[in-house]
Amino acid sequence: MENSQKFITQHLNFYYGEFKALEDISITINQNQVSALIGPSGCGKSTFLRCLNRMNDLIPGIRVKGSIRLDDEDIYAPSVDVVNLRRRVGMVFQKPNPFPKSIFENVAYGLRVNGIKNKKVLKQRVEKSLKQAALWDEVKDRINESALGLSGGQQQRLCIARALAVEPDVVLMDEPASALDPIATQKIEDLIHELKKKFTIIIVTHSMQQAARVSDITAFFYMGKLIETGDTETIFTRPALKQTEDYITGRFG
Amino acid sequence: MERHFIKELDALKMTLLNMAALTRRALEKATHAYLNRDEKEAQTVIDGDKEINDLELQVDNISLKLLALEQPMARDLRFIIGTTKISKELERIADQAVNIAQRSLFLCQHPPLHHIPSMERLMTIADNMLDAAISSFINEDFQQAIKVRQMDDMADKYTLEVLQTLVEYMVKSTPVAEKRLLNTNRSIQTIIISRCLERIGDLATNIGEHVAFIVKAINIKHQKIDFE
Repeated sequence: MENSQKFITQHLNFYYGEFKALEDISITINQNQVSALIGPSGCGKSTFLRCLNRMNDLIPGIRVKGSIRLDDEDIYAPSVDVVNLRRRVGMVFQKPNPFPKSIFENVAYGLRVNGIKNKKVLKQRVEKSLKQAALWDEVKDRINESALGLSGGQQQRLCIARALAVEPDVVLMDEPASALDPIATQKIEDLIHELKKKFTIIIVTHSMQQAARVSDITAFFYMGKLIETGDTETIFTRPALKQTEDYITGRFG
Repeated sequence: MERHFIKELDALKMTLLNMAALTRRALEKATHAYLNRDEKEAQTVIDGDKEINDLELQVDNISLKLLALEQPMARDLRFIIGTTKISKELERIADQAVNIAQRSLFLCQHPPLHHIPSMERLMTIADNMLDAAISSFINEDFQQAIKVRQMDDMADKYTLEVLQTLVEYMVKSTPVAEKRLLNTNRSIQTIIISRCLERIGDLATNIGEHVAFIVKAINIKHQKIDFE
């Protein structure tokens, strides 16, 4: 299954009212790879990320043209169950946002929403998710304490565990380490390397070094357009386009 | 406002250009000392080598600092990697110039050998190759960079001619044993000089290849490329 196509977007255009935020984006995201989206603020990278699990649906006045296919299924088709889509395509945000509940309940939340009530199953799935998020050893003895007592880096890994608990195919990460210190950031990055064995990961980051360190594929966005995409090593050593080169070497604008 | 990093890159470039200028001057002086049997000039080449060695260390230090502190990408990364490699080649070219100067000092102590036209051609082509390699770096000129290695065949040809001329001379020189020893010694010293020049051609070729990597991000080492 490795490197098979997970997401395919074709001629994707996205509007906030009259404002065209994405223009003609055609890109393929492969399974079990980490794809990094880079570009200056306002370039459309987060908007694009949020199209992939229809998080943008929550904003009034948006319009989507073109297609986004997940496992060859149009995610904007009327028959699509958005709740199920978001289970398959999980999301981790910039700022850790645990619920004001216990560590256990944070991870179990999505499972309960999905109708899992069996305590043994819940316990197993919570433990598995916390292990996948490399947090289990740090919290196993205080699993019923409030998640708000965790450090920022631990809270972010808890949010990752919460996203993983419902067994998604894809995890979207919107600047997951930008609010964390270097050690917590390194843990998240190491975790991303581990997670790609089981999940497809798409990460938005402002840190070029982070994109270079964690991703297999890098896509450069500018003013709503996908300028260049390619394997990360190529993009960061010999990009094809001057615009990409100027951005990653800090000579932009 | 110009970025601090760009200024640092410019400083790296200027240090390398300074090193290149001194290296080229060392080669010119070494060949001049040989041709004109000028001991004083030969000695200045030997004395001047330390300055070039110091500049190599400076290039290394600046590059290491920029890699660690700026985490450069793409062309900047290639520029820094390429520059450290070029400085290594320049330092070795300067060592070859010192070698030529030392041989010339020996030759100045004895009567001159007969005129060898191929040696002068070899000196000219080695100098032209180094000049072209440095110019390709200054102008970031890919075409000029790959031209350097196209000149290398001529350098090899002239080196072989010098060798053949002097081997012939050594065989035929004189039946007098004492004179034959001196003639052989002078010939071998001269052959070593030709060998140094041939190596300088190789090292200039390497510089051209590093420039090609900086400019076009392609590695042309050990392979022919389509448009050559």
